[in-house]
Amino acid sequence: MKTQPARENARILFGTLIFFAIWEFLGATTSWGIAMVPAPSRILMQAFADRELYWLHGTATIQTSAIGFAIGVTVAVVAALLFCLSPRLELAFRGINIALFATPAIVIGPLLVLFLKGDWPQTVLAALMVYFPAMSATLLGLRTVDPRIADLVAAYGGGEGKLMRYVRLRGALPDLFAGFRVAAPLAVLGAVLGEFGSGTRWGFGAFLLSALPQGNPARLWGIGLASSAIALAGYALFLLPARRLSASSTAVTLAAVQKAARPSGGWAWQRIALAGIAVALPFVIWWLAVTLTHVSPIIAPGPGRTVMFLIEGRQAAGARAALLTALGQTLPVALLGLLAGLAFAFALAALSLLAPAVARALLPIALVAQNMPLVAVVPFVVLIFGRDVTASVFMAMLVVFFPAYVLLHQGFTTVPRAASDLVSAYGGGRWKQLVHIAVPYSVGHLFAAAKLVAPQALLGVMVAEWLLSGVGLGNLLNVSRGGLDYDMIWAGALISILISVAAYEAVGFIERKVGR
Amino acid sequence: MNALPARESLTAPEGTEPTGPVDVIIDQAGKTFQTVRGPIRALDPISLKVPRGAFVALIGPSGCGKSTLLRMIAGLEQPDEGGAVLVRSKHPEQFRKEGELGIAFQDPALLPWRSVADNIAFPLQILGRPVKRHAATIQSLIDLVGLKGYEAALPGQLSGGMRQRVAIARSLVTDPSVLLLDEPFGALDQILRRAMNVELQRIWAARQTTTLLVTHGIDEAVFLADTVVVMHAQPGRIAEIVNVPFARPRLPSLFSSPDFHALCDRLTESLHGGDASP
Ligand SMILES: Nc1ncnc2c1ncn2[C@@H]1O[C@H](COP(=O)(O)OP(=O)(O)O)[C@@H](O)[C@H]1O
Ligand SMILES: [Mg+2]
Repeated sequence: MKTQPARENARILFGTLIFFAIWEFLGATTSWGIAMVPAPSRILMQAFADRELYWLHGTATIQTSAIGFAIGVTVAVVAALLFCLSPRLELAFRGINIALFATPAIVIGPLLVLFLKGDWPQTVLAALMVYFPAMSATLLGLRTVDPRIADLVAAYGGGEGKLMRYVRLRGALPDLFAGFRVAAPLAVLGAVLGEFGSGTRWGFGAFLLSALPQGNPARLWGIGLASSAIALAGYALFLLPARRLSASSTAVTLAAVQKAARPSGGWAWQRIALAGIAVALPFVIWWLAVTLTHVSPIIAPGPGRTVMFLIEGRQAAGARAALLTALGQTLPVALLGLLAGLAFAFALAALSLLAPAVARALLPIALVAQNMPLVAVVPFVVLIFGRDVTASVFMAMLVVFFPAYVLLHQGFTTVPRAASDLVSAYGGGRWKQLVHIAVPYSVGHLFAAAKLVAPQALLGVMVAEWLLSGVGLGNLLNVSRGGLDYDMIWAGALISILISVAAYEAVGFIERKVGR
Repeated sequence: MNALPARESLTAPEGTEPTGPVDVIIDQAGKTFQTVRGPIRALDPISLKVPRGAFVALIGPSGCGKSTLLRMIAGLEQPDEGGAVLVRSKHPEQFRKEGELGIAFQDPALLPWRSVADNIAFPLQILGRPVKRHAATIQSLIDLVGLKGYEAALPGQLSGGMRQRVAIARSLVTDPSVLLLDEPFGALDQILRRAMNVELQRIWAARQTTTLLVTHGIDEAVFLADTVVVMHAQPGRIAEIVNVPFARPRLPSLFSSPDFHALCDRLTESLHGGDASP
């Protein structure tokens, strides 16, 4: 038993060494290698030459992400506590939560700049990206209470207060750290995306923007790898406490008693009212933000003015046409990337059932890669695919693929043992198992994956458009930002967020239909 | 001294009225669970009176509603319309707030992140009592259930039987006057079980604790109880109430006496008798 992990580690080390040797060889000797995948030694040498730049940009990004992370998780934990105490409050904030989850973060950057000075736009964006994963993981942890323990507390006359104090808070810690772990790399991504929008001088976002036109592949790779390293360091930081906690937190026996099905409480009108609040609340907050900050309505229009901008007045037709053109360029690419990424992930996850060696090799890579900030792949994408639509599609596919693969792989491995044994017992091979058992079982996971990555696909395309291809919604926002066309920035952001939320809800709707 | 009144006074509702104070009154309490697949009748309306200081054992096939009955007495389940449960003339929810109720579930239900000592102290914290002042009590309970040296161990490091002993110690830490035990010795081996039986009898005799014990072991029920309530399943109901005449304190040698075996056989018959009873 003990030698198993050691042998595994040796295998991984050996594989990594071979990988780097091949990379070094191809990157140094082939012409396309020199142009697109420079050898590790060259990247390192370039990074050493750039060490002062790395220090200046790196400290800026690390500082921004760390502060943003701290703010984000603080708000997230407080929100999770409140939502746990009052499920109604959570329903009322559902609109905000989904919008924060689904919003392509890059559209928020240019808006934050209008309100905030200094490093604050990128800091707040980092906090916003951190909020949702940290909040939902913490809330899940707080909500999940072993019913037997709840009975015990009740039998000694303890109420919700005692349960919270002695059971929920401590019981939620492993989930809280799991949420922090996922959120830490997102803080780095938020900081970098914020730097694109704020036009700051220092930070990896600024570094990447300045390096993109220079045509120095080794420097581009260095930036991509360094920002990944920072993000993954944040992930690793929370790996240790989570490991240690989960060892002492998992219940030693499974709860045998099932909690009695709760009668669906609350009246219909109450739920309708809460749903109404959920939809209205984001707009109310938008309106309050522009009203209370006293920023000129020309720079920061409220919801009403932004909608009017697209409906009324001389410029409305032109604005609508510009937006529709941009949408026509962006949405098909995002959809294509989403479907291709999902299909690819599904096929590979299914393949790992037929050939388990594939999964053993791919899963560790996917686990790491899904936490890489997507801006880190920009250098790679631009060097290999150039700056046209292929780059956008590939970018969307890439951000979709890794998280979807990890989730779908889980789906395929949770196929009940007895079901596959039944197929084997009747002489069915792996292929039959796949078609009759594994694929039907994994459809649920496919929807979960789609819900998770659909907003990512849009974000990926918009980042590619902003930085590389110069078309579509991402470009429209970038150009409007440069041209101080504030109404268009707000309208573009609103439309992107609405589309993202609609996509999320649509997947959920189809999921519920199919699930029945 | 405590056995005498108990033996005569615990009766089915049709019987004679008890003479001393009654700790638990169950009056026409039935339980139907509403599930997605329709209602499940766990218990027919049953009635039972448990006098102060009595030791009552409940035996019956699994699924006959023993746990449900105990949970109703703890106020964790509400009896159906028309039924009532009173503990010391109070509603169970009210009574348990006084900290006079001790309970050990069928499953140990320990907090996985707490040590053995801290798990045993948990009811004190829920009741808002100072844990430090009870340190000696906790230590003596750990000794009692034979877990000396494991004070700092986490539940994950213990065997199933050890966890169950932690739960037993926890049920006693508040020095309860009404004790509910749901198959507390299920995971213990035979020797340990006998030893725990003797200990439980000692605690019960010393503290005059009104005790309801659910068990699968007929010999255990006969050894410990003044009264054995035999239940049948589908729907859950009381089939027979049998008094145990043996004098106290009962010694382990009782386990091998012919009278003891005769009574065990009679209970086994009652348990499997099905339609033969009432
Ligand atoms: N929460 C519940 N929901 C639905 N059915 C239940 C629930 N608890 C118990 N039951 C049912 O009630 C019956 C009695 O259960 P229980 O009291 O646990 O029996 P015992 O402890 O005698 O084995 C069983 O048929 C069981 O399935
Ligand atoms: Mg039971």
